[in-house]
Amino acid sequence: MSHKLPDFQYIRQNYQYMTLVQDLEENIYIFQVLLEENSDIVFRKINIGDKKVKAYLIYVDGMADKSLITRNILEPVMIETRKLNKTVYTSDQFFNYIKDYFLTISEVDVKDKIGDVINDLLCGETVLLIDGIEKAIILSTKGWEGRNVAESTTESYVRGPKEAFVETLRINTSMLRRRIKHPDFVIENMKIGKYSKTDVSIAYIKSIAEDKVVQEVKKRLKKVQIDGVIDSGYLEEFIEDNPFSPFPQIAHSEKPDRVSAEILEGKVAILVDGSPFALTVPAIFAQFFQAGEDYYERYFLSSALRVLRIIAMLTALLFPSIYIAETTFHQEMIPTQLAISVAAQREGVPFPALLEALFMEVTFEILREAGIRLPMQVGQAVSIVGGLVIGQAAVQAGLVSPAMVIVVALTGIASFAIPAFNIAITFRLLRFIIMIAAGTLGFFGIIMVVMMILAHMASLESFGVPYLAPMAPSKTQELSDVLIRIPWWAKILRPRTIQRKNIVRQEDTRG
Amino acid sequence: MKRFIILILTITILLTGCWDKREINQLAFVQGLGIERGKDDMIHIIVEILKPGLLTTGGGGTGGTGGGSAAGKPYAVFQASGVDFAKAFANLNDELPRSLFMQYNEIIFLDEKFARSGIYQTLDFMTRNPEFRRTAYILVVTGGSLEELFNLKSENTLERYPYKEVMGLISNQANTASSYVSDLNEFIETLEIPKKAPITGRLVIVKKDGKATGIRLSGSAVFDNDKLIGFLEEQDTKAVATLMNKLKRSTLTLDKGLKGEKAHISLVVTKARTQIFPKIRDGDISFDIKVNVEAYLNEQETKYELTEPENLEKLQTMVSKKIKTAIEHALFILQKKYNADVVGFVDILYKRNPALWNKIEKDWDKIYPDVKFNVTVKSVIRRSGLSSKPIYPR
Repeated sequence: MSHKLPDFQYIRQNYQYMTLVQDLEENIYIFQVLLEENSDIVFRKINIGDKKVKAYLIYVDGMADKSLITRNILEPVMIETRKLNKTVYTSDQFFNYIKDYFLTISEVDVKDKIGDVINDLLCGETVLLIDGIEKAIILSTKGWEGRNVAESTTESYVRGPKEAFVETLRINTSMLRRRIKHPDFVIENMKIGKYSKTDVSIAYIKSIAEDKVVQEVKKRLKKVQIDGVIDSGYLEEFIEDNPFSPFPQIAHSEKPDRVSAEILEGKVAILVDGSPFALTVPAIFAQFFQAGEDYYERYFLSSALRVLRIIAMLTALLFPSIYIAETTFHQEMIPTQLAISVAAQREGVPFPALLEALFMEVTFEILREAGIRLPMQVGQAVSIVGGLVIGQAAVQAGLVSPAMVIVVALTGIASFAIPAFNIAITFRLLRFIIMIAAGTLGFFGIIMVVMMILAHMASLESFGVPYLAPMAPSKTQELSDVLIRIPWWAKILRPRTIQRKNIVRQEDTRG
Repeated sequence: MKRFIILILTITILLTGCWDKREINQLAFVQGLGIERGKDDMIHIIVEILKPGLLTTGGGGTGGTGGGSAAGKPYAVFQASGVDFAKAFANLNDELPRSLFMQYNEIIFLDEKFARSGIYQTLDFMTRNPEFRRTAYILVVTGGSLEELFNLKSENTLERYPYKEVMGLISNQANTASSYVSDLNEFIETLEIPKKAPITGRLVIVKKDGKATGIRLSGSAVFDNDKLIGFLEEQDTKAVATLMNKLKRSTLTLDKGLKGEKAHISLVVTKARTQIFPKIRDGDISFDIKVNVEAYLNEQETKYELTEPENLEKLQTMVSKKIKTAIEHALFILQKKYNADVVGFVDILYKRNPALWNKIEKDWDKIYPDVKFNVTVKSVIRRSGLSSKPIYPR
């Protein structure tokens, strides 16, 4: 060793700015200092060629594809190079020769900053360091065990593509690329997270997506200075417009078909490595009531289902409140026969209707929560016990009235009929507020809270698009994809609420 | 600070709530309110209050009621008196463990004697108080006391309590139009027109050996302003309903065959449209009444074929004549017997010639009994039921 090696402290603090040196031992020393406690990093010492040039191969065990390393790096570099003539090369010539003639790896890069090299190494690439050369060859050998592409569990269709995103970003982007094979379809990459260095991809179609939205997405993502991004949910909270709103302002989906359809409308998708949920912006309220299947099933059925979902939404939000208001304040609004039967059922119920409803709703929410977290086999037991507890025992014990059981059950089922889980949660929460208002002020209270919610929704925006568009501000033409779904051949234009750059979706072939 | 103020405001709003909160099981559902004149000229009210627990037998065995159909009458009758309605209701309230709930009461029963003494006070109380339905029907009860009506034995009724039985009668009488039942709204609106007389239904308690055995909705009660002055029989009621364009469906029986022989032919009137034109000539007032009737043959004792145009023609003429007679009879009763303008000729006259009306309003009571009516009836028989010919020829 010709000169004194830099000390630990110095290396650890300044490695980002250090470059590789000619001396292999020193380079390796630096890497070992930086990564010494890591058991999964492999330093493989090899000799290259007839002159036995010393070299090191460094990779992360488990993240790099070992068979690829053996077959396409070690074999050619260690064995084939023996046939080299005893020609004298300069270091640079030798380096390029190795890189261009022997490394049968598809992606090869050359870097000299230690920081960059370490980043790549930790992403699963293999680093080849050769003695006497102040550069490293980065060989793309990423390959780790991941979940296979499988059927979606959160958004299942009867008809339509079944595959869902997985945790590996590259596989996810490939699923999108497979659906949109146009050079204008852009997948941009960035890294977020000081420690996690998570790959985040922004996917959009250059010629359709609004430039401002794309810029805004990038701007907001760049501002994120977090130590790690484990799921796309982290980013959603960072980049949404109004973080204090109960309403989701960014949609997410597990299905590549749905995400690519949204990209085709001019939206921007954000995919995060490690998360099978892609975010799409801008999001509007109406889209949370659209299931992907709406567009694959025949339009009559889809339109009817849309109306049904809106009824379900109103039921999930208001039904218990209306029941409370009518039985405690506005009895004259119930048909007489029904009122008599409700009164008969409530005879002997010890609690006021509001308390009874809150009690039942909370019980229902507990059961649901328990059912979700438990393993499937136990979950079924919970639902049976819960059904018995709510449906039978509570009524027989005289704790609640049978009518209340019907109300709560219908409300619960209605909230499951909303396709987007995130907006269903919002309604579940708001339901309790409206119930309290109904229990204290009757219909007047319900109307007040609903007005407040509507005013809040009208004030929301998602990346420049009004949340309630196309209802408010109203765009009559686009309502054709809100309350109903018009057939595909009639969808001549793309929704102009999302973008105005390129609105013709298809040539009008109807003449 | 701003948030704090908003929080305080929200809390104040929420805390002021509840003041008119009533749980549904703490209400006394009144179905059937009867009013009569008690001793010392007091207002006497009698109400039928439902017992929900006993009404919904079978099904979910709720707490309290052991379920079981033999648990007794599903209602209770309460009575109270007072110098006026407010006092009477206050007294009634003191007898009840639950708060009175009048919104489901759709019938107000008036005792005949009470109705004859004037019901202005009733109307005033009920229109002032938001608890009462303006759509509640008014019925004048004759042939027995209200107490007898409210305690009608269940073996004599089809429904489970008397109120419901009467409610069924009211909706069912639309098939025959044998009574004309107005609701509070219609009654009051009629009173607001000067000189127009309100009518409403008459409920007769049918008695056998001094015990009430049934009820029947029959004819109607004619009022002069707020006082009952008399009754119209079923036939006259039908005619009045026709004149008021309120006839939905009715039956009609001819007691002569097409050739004048003694036989019965029954028809169902499905449509009756009346137009009334006032005629004023030299201060003489008369009305042209044009009635268009549609009917179908329901039953005939004779065996005429209505496919024959001349038979049809003849039948139509007979129907027209019969209706014309009925209308003229009803008008005669109204003019000469009661001197009450139920149909609202005053209104028609006023709309035609307000100046004239203002002049004669004072003397209308003298003019009305002698007003001439020219009734023309045109009837069309559309169908003859399922069979077009008699079952076997003569």
